[in-house]
Amino acid sequence: MLEIRYVWEWPVRITHWINASSVILLSATGLFIAHPFAIIGVETMAWARLVHIVVAYAFLCSVLFRFYWMLVGNQHASWRAFIPWLTAEGRRNFVKMLRYYTFTGKKISYEVGHNPVAALAYLGIFALFIFQIVSGFALYGQYAPEGFWGGLFVILNPLVSSQYLRLSHHMVMWMLLGFLVNHLYSAWLMDVKERNGTMSGIFSGYRYIEPEDL
Amino acid sequence: MGKRIAVDPITRIEGHLRIEAQIEGGKIVDAWSSSTAFRGIETILKGRDPRDAHHFTQRFCGVCTTVHSMASIRCVEDALKIQIPDNARLIRNLVMAIQNVQDHVIHFYHLHALDWVDITSALKADPAATAKLAQSLSDWPKSSATYFKGVQDRIAAFVGTGRLGPFANAYWGHSAYRLPAEANLMAVAHYLEALEWQKDVIRIHAILGSKNPHPQTFLVGGMSIPVDPDSQNAINADKIAFIGKLLKKAKLFVEKVYIPDLLAVASFYKAWAGIGAGVGNFLCYGDFPMDESGRVESFYLPRGVIMGKDLANVMPMDEAKITEYVTHSWYRYGSGDKVGLHPYDGETAHAYNGPKPPYDFLDTDGKYSWVKAPRYLDQPMEVGPLARMVVAFSSGHAEVQATVKMVLDRLGVGPEALFSTLGRTAARGIETLLLAQKSELWLQQLADNMGRGILAVHNGDKWDPATWPKEARGFGYHEAPRGALGHWIRIESGAIGNFQAVVPSTWNAGPRDAAGQRGPYEEALIGTPVAVSDQPLEILRTIHSFDPCLACAVH
Amino acid sequence: MPQHSPPQEQPLDEKLLQRWEARGVSRRDFIKFCATLTATLALPASFIPQIAEAIEDKRLPVIWMEFQGCTGDTEALLRANQPTVAEIVLDLLTLEYHETIMAAAGHQAEEAKSQALEKYKGKYLAVVEGSIPTADGGVYCTVGGDSALNIVRKICGNAAATIAVGNCAAFGGLPAAAPNPTGAISVKDAVPQATVLNLPGCPLNADNLTATIVHFLTFNQLPATDGLGRPLFAYGKRIHDNCERRAHFDAGQYAEAFGDAGHRQGYCLYKLGCKGPETFHNCPTIRYNEGVSWPVMAGHGCIGCAEPGFWDTMSPFYRRLPQVPGFPVEATADKIGVGLVAATAVAFGAHAVGSAFRKGDAMESDKVIKED
Ligand code: HEM
Ligand code: HEM
Ligand code: NFV
Ligand code: SF4
Ligand code: SF4
Ligand code: F3S
Ligand SMILES: [Mg+2]
Repeated sequence: MLEIRYVWEWPVRITHWINASSVILLSATGLFIAHPFAIIGVETMAWARLVHIVVAYAFLCSVLFRFYWMLVGNQHASWRAFIPWLTAEGRRNFVKMLRYYTFTGKKISYEVGHNPVAALAYLGIFALFIFQIVSGFALYGQYAPEGFWGGLFVILNPLVSSQYLRLSHHMVMWMLLGFLVNHLYSAWLMDVKERNGTMSGIFSGYRYIEPEDL
Repeated sequence: MGKRIAVDPITRIEGHLRIEAQIEGGKIVDAWSSSTAFRGIETILKGRDPRDAHHFTQRFCGVCTTVHSMASIRCVEDALKIQIPDNARLIRNLVMAIQNVQDHVIHFYHLHALDWVDITSALKADPAATAKLAQSLSDWPKSSATYFKGVQDRIAAFVGTGRLGPFANAYWGHSAYRLPAEANLMAVAHYLEALEWQKDVIRIHAILGSKNPHPQTFLVGGMSIPVDPDSQNAINADKIAFIGKLLKKAKLFVEKVYIPDLLAVASFYKAWAGIGAGVGNFLCYGDFPMDESGRVESFYLPRGVIMGKDLANVMPMDEAKITEYVTHSWYRYGSGDKVGLHPYDGETAHAYNGPKPPYDFLDTDGKYSWVKAPRYLDQPMEVGPLARMVVAFSSGHAEVQATVKMVLDRLGVGPEALFSTLGRTAARGIETLLLAQKSELWLQQLADNMGRGILAVHNGDKWDPATWPKEARGFGYHEAPRGALGHWIRIESGAIGNFQAVVPSTWNAGPRDAAGQRGPYEEALIGTPVAVSDQPLEILRTIHSFDPCLACAVH
Repeated sequence: MPQHSPPQEQPLDEKLLQRWEARGVSRRDFIKFCATLTATLALPASFIPQIAEAIEDKRLPVIWMEFQGCTGDTEALLRANQPTVAEIVLDLLTLEYHETIMAAAGHQAEEAKSQALEKYKGKYLAVVEGSIPTADGGVYCTVGGDSALNIVRKICGNAAATIAVGNCAAFGGLPAAAPNPTGAISVKDAVPQATVLNLPGCPLNADNLTATIVHFLTFNQLPATDGLGRPLFAYGKRIHDNCERRAHFDAGQYAEAFGDAGHRQGYCLYKLGCKGPETFHNCPTIRYNEGVSWPVMAGHGCIGCAEPGFWDTMSPFYRRLPQVPGFPVEATADKIGVGLVAATAVAFGAHAVGSAFRKGDAMESDKVIKED
């Protein structure tokens, strides 16, 4: 018997969609910053940078809020949900999921929240979010080294050099885009092939769960 | 029993040079030239983008500052078969010419002059007599008694403080100084004037390349300074006029101050036309292409080789005949240290085995310098202004012949005087004059091109590494102020596979080779008199006549 | 621009002006000179009298040492304009030791150095040009038979302050570029306990050196610095934020190739690899060679010569981004990135095909939904 369970609380969904749209907007404007072309009569670069930075602030707030929610939200939102392989059961499920993805097993591990392989990916994604925020605001701070962001990240320049900061900021964009391909496919896979409401869940918060499978 | 001395540092040069000499009976009987610093830039270049090489190699030296850019760019262009636009050729000629002119004047006044001029004696000069002397030499306007009095007062005030700074501890009063007090005062005045002048005229590099030293304007395929009469951000009529003004200023000073001073000073030191001959072999790659093709035949200063001072016989230069030895240099070759390697296959594997610092003397029987020993047909070669002038003279170059004859006549010496310490210093002056005069033509041609709407400065056809062959190799030549400069590159899969530079001062300052043949500095010192072994002023004279640059030589 | 700030009317001491006149420096030139220095130091005009006092015959003793360098910074000094090098050498400082300029040679030169060290211990200014090799006991640079490492420790260790001129002395520069064959390091790393001010650039801008020296003469201390030991008055702002082409950057007007119409019209050089956005230096405001020009003005991108490690981090110089470590030269960040995304897409495409053919794993589809 399938149950519908409230899994994703509103802050998870809201921040998910802010993050998702931020990543897309930041990548679009970031790509423009990297490879600008002119549109006559428009301050194209000024706008691209403005949008990039405004979205960056929204993104920062959203990511911070999601981190807060990891401490106070439900079990699926909790930070523990991202490190399931700390328990023996988690490790078992992790292997099960991996075998499913690699066609060496047929059963997926049923989870109310993230499956353990996805959790690993999300952990990585959150790390990349932090990386983009730190490198992004460090780059941003350079226009005013005496300002807030400049002061906050003052050690980064001597440590990594602003060129490598830029390069890694740029490369992480490609990693995020790579994840997106993966993420959308996995969501489709779970939703269509396993029909567990993965997709709609991130909109509505509800997922279809077969309690016997758990 | 003779005496072994070491002069380290040799000052008033670029870089770290040490000369050791064996003196017997007041004369040098043997000498060793050593550079004591190494950076390993040829090693650093490996694997990098060939289009970047010129930025790195330019920093071989901040004195000749443009020349390695030029040679690096040309070796890449040679490898990739790139023809540069005519404007780029003209701008390069201008940049190279003013580099030579400015560098030579600095050398004469600020690096070499104090070997001949006793500053302290200038205090005893009579300003009026000095004015008379100066006026007899040229109609340079700044030659009044008041002017020289002002200079003398300034020096007196300076000396009066008792703090001589850079002029302390020198060989003042040495018996080898021969100039009368008035000539000394005139020279000191021009020392100061030249200091002002050089920074003014070198602004041509700033206009054409943003700054000097280390202009940022060369590109594989041309130049990065745009040319456009209708833009305020490019070389336009205004900037042409500015360059023209500075070229005029450069030429005037050379004609009215440098050359007259050179002749005046030289006339008191004619004995030095018989000292410091050196190896007597001369190598010149030639430079300053006079037409768009860039062909060797079009060079204003021709390419050629002279062996054994034989002015009647200029041989063609073939870069394939060049090798470098490390028998006495602190490097190891994979195939053993007795062979010479052509630069395409050159190696820069440093292997110091000299004494542990602090030390008193080097082991000159073994390896004793960071400079390699380049050879042409296994012979040591002198390069530089003298090489250029004798090759051009012997090739029948009318302007060079006329100017060389004028100088020899004025000094009352024959052509054999060229092969000497004095000859080297005079040849430098002669070519300064010729290049200062020629530059105006190149500027004019650049302006003509602009007038005809020819604006290209860069050929970008081969800019993208995707257009390059998997492997290519090229030779880049240049006549730098100190002489024939070559860079050799191997490009492999878009990156630098091997990069080797054989620099003017590598030729001149190099140590002995596998056969034990001395390098040009070493050879030129043989027979040089040394009056006071503790004050080797004479060593400085001959060594300075080559205008050493050791950062160049070793890189 | 400091060069162009008009001479201010300031009540300068009459006797002082007369003394300079006696030395052949007109009062107008002297006042202008003080005003320029004051502006370069980013000080208000009210400091002009103090600056004028400071440069009045204090004649700071200076020991200038060159190690693994190219003499470019010395040449830069020779191009100094306000004051000129003649004024610096004769009036402002006593250059006790400077191999390129000094008359003495050999052991007489070395003697001049030790005499100055003794006589002005703790009071002289040490200036270092070029990096210091440390590999193999420092054999890669010796002067007078002693290693650069020994010399710099002795001379900088006893100086009132040390100024590291040029990128080599400040950060290791070219000799320290990968693979750093000689173990080259900066002055600060060679003498960690010394007070070192860094004036990077390749070479440094002489105006920044003269301004620093005058600051030292005026306030008896070195100017305030950033985290890299560079004075804020000269390295406090990015090139990009003061660049005359910034409007073109914002407007999206870029030179696409050297010599194209945009390049001739002074468009932004971002796409030709300009490193102005990554480089802190005052080139656009003070320029070089008496304010004639600076790299971007002459149509070539900045190569970042004031930043640590710029030979490695800012190259390839004609690309905006550095090489991705571990990849061959032709692989740009974007080629690798697109490759990554494409590879993921291909992998998951293949996986999708595999999934489509797999049977029996969609078993829940027919079950009835139970409402909560
Ligand atoms: C998912 C997140 C982000 C992505 C995908 C992204 C992407 C990019 C890309 C591709 C560039 C161009 C880099 C180059 O080639 O030079 C860029 C530049 C930049 N990004 Fe981001 N970015 C992200 C987040 C942020 C954040 C949070 C900030 C914070 C302010 C930020 C600030 C900047 C700045 C200041 C630049 C340089 C702009 C300039 O030089 O004018 N980015 N970004
Ligand atoms: C740039 C775009 C996106 C990013 C960066 C992204 C990121 C994430 C992250 C970090 C999570 C973990 C949720 C959390 O705990 O906060 C997540 C979960 C999820 N995302 Fe996205 N997402 C993106 C776009 C999308 C899109 C377009 C969809 C769907 C159409 C989607 C569907 C989901 C679903 C279903 C989950 C929960 C999956 C599970 O727990 O197994 N995401 N996403
Ligand atoms: N030798 C030398 Fe140079 C020159 N002229 C270079 O090629 O000085 Ni630095
Ligand atoms: S910083 Fe540049 S100019 Fe100065 S010594 Fe080093 S390479 Fe030469
Ligand atoms: S030219 Fe360089 S420094 Fe100037 S605005 Fe463009 S990118 Fe910035
Ligand atoms: S290359 Fe250097 S000179 Fe200025 S413009 Fe860039 S910092
Ligand atoms: Mg070499």
